[in-house]
Amino acid sequence: MNPIIEVQNFTKRYGKFTAVDDISFQVEEGSIFAFLGPNGAGKSTTINTLCTIFEKTEGTLRIDGKDVSTQKNEVRKSIGVVFQDSTLDKKMTVEENLRMHCVFYRVPKREVEERIAFVLELVELSEWRRKRVSALSGGMKRRVEIARGLIHFPKVLFLDEPTTGLDPQTRAHIWEYIVKLQKEKNITMFLTTHYMDEAEICNQVAIMDGGKIVANDRPFELKKQYTKDRAYITTERPEELERLLRAHNLEFVQKPKYYRVDVDSVPGLLQVLGDQKDVITDLEVKKGTLNDVFLEITGKEIREGGES
Amino acid sequence: MKTVFALCQRNLKDFVRNKPRLILSIIFPFFFIYVFSSIFQNEYIENPISLMLAGIAIATVFDVTLRISSSTIDDMSSGFMKEVLVSPVSRLSIAGGQFLSGAVIGTMNGMIILLGGVLLGFRVTSPLTVLYIIAAMVFVGFVFAGFGLFMATTTKSTQTFQVVSMAITMPMTFLSGAYIPVGDLPNVLQIITRFNPLTYAVAMFRSVSLEWGGLPLEQQIHLGVSIEIGNFVVTPMISALILLGFGALFLLLSTLAFMRTDFSKMSRSAGDAVDWG
Ligand SMILES: Nc1ncnc2c1ncn2[C@@H]1O[C@H](COP(=O)(O)OP(=O)(O)OP(=O)(O)O)[C@@H](O)[C@H]1O
Ligand SMILES: [Mg+2]
Repeated sequence: MNPIIEVQNFTKRYGKFTAVDDISFQVEEGSIFAFLGPNGAGKSTTINTLCTIFEKTEGTLRIDGKDVSTQKNEVRKSIGVVFQDSTLDKKMTVEENLRMHCVFYRVPKREVEERIAFVLELVELSEWRRKRVSALSGGMKRRVEIARGLIHFPKVLFLDEPTTGLDPQTRAHIWEYIVKLQKEKNITMFLTTHYMDEAEICNQVAIMDGGKIVANDRPFELKKQYTKDRAYITTERPEELERLLRAHNLEFVQKPKYYRVDVDSVPGLLQVLGDQKDVITDLEVKKGTLNDVFLEITGKEIREGGES
Repeated sequence: MKTVFALCQRNLKDFVRNKPRLILSIIFPFFFIYVFSSIFQNEYIENPISLMLAGIAIATVFDVTLRISSSTIDDMSSGFMKEVLVSPVSRLSIAGGQFLSGAVIGTMNGMIILLGGVLLGFRVTSPLTVLYIIAAMVFVGFVFAGFGLFMATTTKSTQTFQVVSMAITMPMTFLSGAYIPVGDLPNVLQIITRFNPLTYAVAMFRSVSLEWGGLPLEQQIHLGVSIEIGNFVVTPMISALILLGFGALFLLLSTLAFMRTDFSKMSRSAGDAVDWG
């Protein structure tokens, strides 16, 4: 593991209010890392501090070995940022926005044309090149911002809720770009989201709540650790099923139409049922979700984001 | 330096693209010339139109420069400033870009007025004067660019800024001698004009553009290009020095203020707050 982002004991206070409370984590180079958490968890605060926009209260934060407080300029050169709220220059065209960005980041002049063409191709906005940003739809603006964040080939791309408020199709597209870039250009992606299905795609997910990281692992591990698979069993012979489950110390909940059984592993359940398959008429297994993980850890549902 | 020019180019494009504003900023001055020119008739002045033109041209430079250099405030509220600040450009070049934009666009606007003035009979005798005029406009542009950015960074919110800017620029423009001769004002207001930096810009610019630099002092005072304060006479040259001091002070102050502004406090824009409401 080669961490490109290292955060140790980071705390951020706004006056007396502690928005982020002593968090530590690392992000592996070339991975997709997500902050998952409800409103006000401190996700944007952390991103803004990593991006050198906010000043930390305590702790050390490093990107690519550079300190975000003392080596601001070095850090700025190696990151790209898509903020939660739009930072496009709405008065200018798509192309002008990209060109200006290239000036800011000193992209060599002879490469500018090529890169503009490349990023616009990537987000499928080539035809919109000469349009004023104010004339674009919300989803298109978001795509322009992602394109702009990439054009200087950053080592790390920060995306604060890149897909909030977008239609499912655009969301899916944006995820295509994200995964593609990570794979092809080995860009580390650091993003925040309220969507569980998006967090599932990531290599690593840190669940944030009330300014703290309450869990941080691969989605698969999180689910393994915090959730159980749920089996829904229908039967014609309830007494026999109940006896069987009790015999194997499996807890169950009886519902009018089915029995619900939380199991550690599906093969285990199959083994139990193995001898007496004819007891059941039907069996359906549902995997634990990150939502269940969140529920398990914080005791509350995460609010699904956006207008959905 | 590339950043400075790129920012300047951007502001210029925006200025040219906003057609209604562009047309208004050219038509308005001529409207004022038409309305006010009769006031300037007196025995010393053979061509009141030229006098008006010079005054209004420089007042336009003042107005446009101020508007452009303070447009930073729009960039703060639109979020674009965040994109600039998270990039590896120095804040100094951002401030520099605003100053240059202000001075360049202000000068262009001022020149358009003078060119229009040629149709109304405005003439210069020496081609060198044209160069002096441009130089004087650029100079005045830079002098007030610092003032504009200073207002923008110290007020911070678009609404407050609009009020403050109105409350400051309106009296400055009308108590400068550009539209109304200082001598025609009530005594109290005449005293105020002496504290108005634009008064000196108007005086200096008139002396340059109307080629009155060589006139005897007595006559300069009557024409209003030299200003009497008690026994002291502020010649156009001294006016330029006053402007230099004022300009340097505000360029410095605004740059410092801009470098120190904690933009993180402003990042919670209205849009951000209602996102999840
Ligand atoms: N500039 C600020 N001044 C004061 N308090 C702030 C500021 N920015 C954020 N906060 C507070 O800090 C906490 C964390 O905010 P933050 O924006 O980091 O949350 P978030 O996890 O990004 O939430 P969301 O999902 O709504 O974007 C919130 O309680 C918020 O009210
Ligand atoms: Mg946020």
